[in-house]
Amino acid sequence: MTTTTNAEALRSLLPGDRTRNVADYAIDGTAPAIALRPQTRDEVVRVVAAANSAGLVLVPLGARTATALGRPLTRYDVALDTTGLARVVEYEPNDLTATIEAGMTLATFQETLAAHGQYLPADPPPSDNVTIGGLLATARPGAWRHHVPGQRDLVLGITAIQPDGTVTHSGGRVVKNVSGYDMHRMHTGALGAFGVIVEATFKLQPLPVSTRTLAIECESFESAADVAYRLWDLALPLRALSILAPGAAEVAGLPPRVQVLLECMGGDAVLARCEDAIRREAATSRAPHAGEVRPGSFVTLRALAGTSALTVLRLGVPSSQVAAATQFATERGYVAWGHLAAGSVLAVMPEANTIAESVRALRAYARERGGFLEIESAPATLRAEVDPFDTPERTLVTSLKRQFDPSGTLNRGRWQEDV
Amino acid sequence: MRNPFRRSVEQALDASRTALASDLIAALGEQNVLWRAEDLIGYEYDATIDRRRPDAVVFPSTTEQVSAAIVIANAFGVPIVPRGSGTGLAGGAVPIMGGVVVVLTRMNRIVEIDPRDRVAVIQPGVINLRLQDECAKYGLLYAPDPSSQRICTIGGNIATNSGGPHTLAHGSTVNHVLGIEVVLPDGRVTYLGSRVPDAPGIDLRGVFVGSEGTLGIVTSITVRLQRQPEAVRTMLAIFESIEIASEAVSAIISGGVIPVALEMLDQEIIRAVEPRLHVGYPLDAGAVLLIEVEGLRESVEADAQYVVTACREMGAREVRTAESEAERARLWEGRKGGIGAIGAISPNFYILDGVVPRTQLPKVMAEVMRLSAEAGFRCANIFHAGDGNLHPNIMFDELVPGATQKVLDLGGAIMRLCVDSGGSITGEHGVGLEKRSYMEWIFSAADLEAQQRIRDAWGTGERFNPCKILPTGHGCGAGHEAEIRQHLATPGVYV
Repeated sequence: MTTTTNAEALRSLLPGDRTRNVADYAIDGTAPAIALRPQTRDEVVRVVAAANSAGLVLVPLGARTATALGRPLTRYDVALDTTGLARVVEYEPNDLTATIEAGMTLATFQETLAAHGQYLPADPPPSDNVTIGGLLATARPGAWRHHVPGQRDLVLGITAIQPDGTVTHSGGRVVKNVSGYDMHRMHTGALGAFGVIVEATFKLQPLPVSTRTLAIECESFESAADVAYRLWDLALPLRALSILAPGAAEVAGLPPRVQVLLECMGGDAVLARCEDAIRREAATSRAPHAGEVRPGSFVTLRALAGTSALTVLRLGVPSSQVAAATQFATERGYVAWGHLAAGSVLAVMPEANTIAESVRALRAYARERGGFLEIESAPATLRAEVDPFDTPERTLVTSLKRQFDPSGTLNRGRWQEDV
Repeated sequence: MRNPFRRSVEQALDASRTALASDLIAALGEQNVLWRAEDLIGYEYDATIDRRRPDAVVFPSTTEQVSAAIVIANAFGVPIVPRGSGTGLAGGAVPIMGGVVVVLTRMNRIVEIDPRDRVAVIQPGVINLRLQDECAKYGLLYAPDPSSQRICTIGGNIATNSGGPHTLAHGSTVNHVLGIEVVLPDGRVTYLGSRVPDAPGIDLRGVFVGSEGTLGIVTSITVRLQRQPEAVRTMLAIFESIEIASEAVSAIISGGVIPVALEMLDQEIIRAVEPRLHVGYPLDAGAVLLIEVEGLRESVEADAQYVVTACREMGAREVRTAESEAERARLWEGRKGGIGAIGAISPNFYILDGVVPRTQLPKVMAEVMRLSAEAGFRCANIFHAGDGNLHPNIMFDELVPGATQKVLDLGGAIMRLCVDSGGSITGEHGVGLEKRSYMEWIFSAADLEAQQRIRDAWGTGERFNPCKILPTGHGCGAGHEAEIRQHLATPGVYV
């Protein structure tokens, strides 16, 4: 039997209305043989198990915002759209925990939680339109990382479908739990290498009373670093603290200068205190401009970081190197900005034809400082030429993949050629 | 000596042990290896159960020595069991199948504290409190603070993914570990994670933390530090009963303010602590909540006011606020000395570790007290109420015939209660040996098989800290629980 007939056989497993147009699920220009959107966990099980026994390669997809993350697939037969699984399984506001299905968007989840004054503090690129499954599978940090706990810290348990169709759970629904191996940590950030995430439980947080976005214009990257550090050291209730190169500032709707952009959260007295701190800092550093800016600045940058048609690089560097790394990327033609606490610098190339040489140069720069570079999105040719992850420990990853997906059914090739 | 073969078997075993010891000595030096029977006694147990004598104990000072010890143990086909200070409460460091115990306490250097990058690099044998104290000099905080922090090691904290009172706001150990150097079960040295957060690739670091020494031995740790808060407010809310105090816990947390710590001490604990430590807990209280909020001066004021109001509304008799750092320290001293105080009022006690959803606390605590009374034991509760993380301490005298077995049965019943309330069998102590048989209460056969695959992927075989976490494994199978119970009944085994 050919791949197509094998794939066609999957169609008969589900009711007719589950089939989707394959062109909508193309990854790197390649459409799968079949695209299915199951409505229940049991339907997912049937599709995954059948794909596995037919030797097909299946790709679980949510909002499809991160399809340019990872190496190009070595084969792609079945698109499994998880958005049909979007129920709230259990939400107990007084426990500050919720269990939801993986196909729900973060936006819908946040709406549910906001009704009870709660939220999941995660701001992944490009927006809240990502699904919960995608949020976990990609584990991409945003501007809030390490000011508030993110999805990595708040995931309490995951239900995943293994390639043979077995349903497995890890963790639980309580906020503190050390029973057994944390398979939910293995799935988080694994890009679906070990199973299809169908359900997750999170620890939640109260919504901030209010938030305020403020910016301080700086003369140079060096002075921005000093300003950002002094503010960081004040232990203000920040949710973001970033250094923007002029290009990034422009995208964020600010004057095209080096800017320190931050978000504070709290009640009136706290916000007044934060504003006061920023005024003082502006006076100390003789900043040309400082004060409140439109809250959309971070939203715009977040969307840019998640634009898969562009080349987006994430450099990890120690906090002390964030300003310098932002400058380094800027000097090489990238639109760049960095988050101080998380030590992450985003570098976006306006044109799609990024040169591998420049990515390697940035990677070398990050490595020399004890960090790393991950390609968040790029043309397939570049991702084939330069390893998007560059992780040193490959043996264990290969070995885990052999244990959990021996036939290479899930997302084949996305991690390493054999994974 | 009735068995004619026994003598020759013993001789052969001795010869093999001697050969093992001499290889270890050759690799690590004589002063770093214990092998005489009388020297090994101290490494038979941790803070739980007296169990099994290792064949040798090594004290490496370098990653290379750790690796060498593992390679030698592998060559002899004997188990390897990592160990820190031995304060574990689940039997995780007990060499249940013999073998080589690798004690990491000599690797106790704080290699680096970088206040600008807010990271610290430490060796696994560094004591938790020492790291906290050193970081405090820079106005920085390493947040995880298990109650045993005066003696437990960071390596041990990694193994069990330790918590502590401040886990409520800051999360468990795994949330603070950026990168780890690990010697794998085959002796190979690797690095998982990075000095910078969110390293690309599969989160092997996240899988390793909390794996209870079954996936390798950690030899260097990079942790994330945070700024100490500008202001802290510590309060003592006094209640008539543990049930009312439990209702208050849920009310506080669901009202939009999450304290950084929210600890419960019941009457038994108060009466054990107060006469000894004089920290100011009222002897006639049914229970007290120790509540801490932190942040900017402005928000701490408001949050403290909120907590006081919420406690009063939930029926608190009184809410006291620590007016000075000394008063605050005293309130915490009562919490930290609580477990020790139980030792002064009961010949033995058995400490449990379970978790329930916070909203279930009132019902579960009432049931814990009922079950204990029914079984005829006093039960003292001192625990992380804000996280729903229970620690009932069952007091008993092992010299009373049958008491030990009854205590273990009661412990099992309380664990069952946690599971039936939607909770878990351990919040911070780990599964170790003690709770392997309870794993089937919360995980399906498929779940456990998947967990076994992680172990298989790491090439752990059955020799790297064998018989821990999973309720399977060659030689630690079926009759295991009965065996454990029997050994639990030996003297000096309780906390």
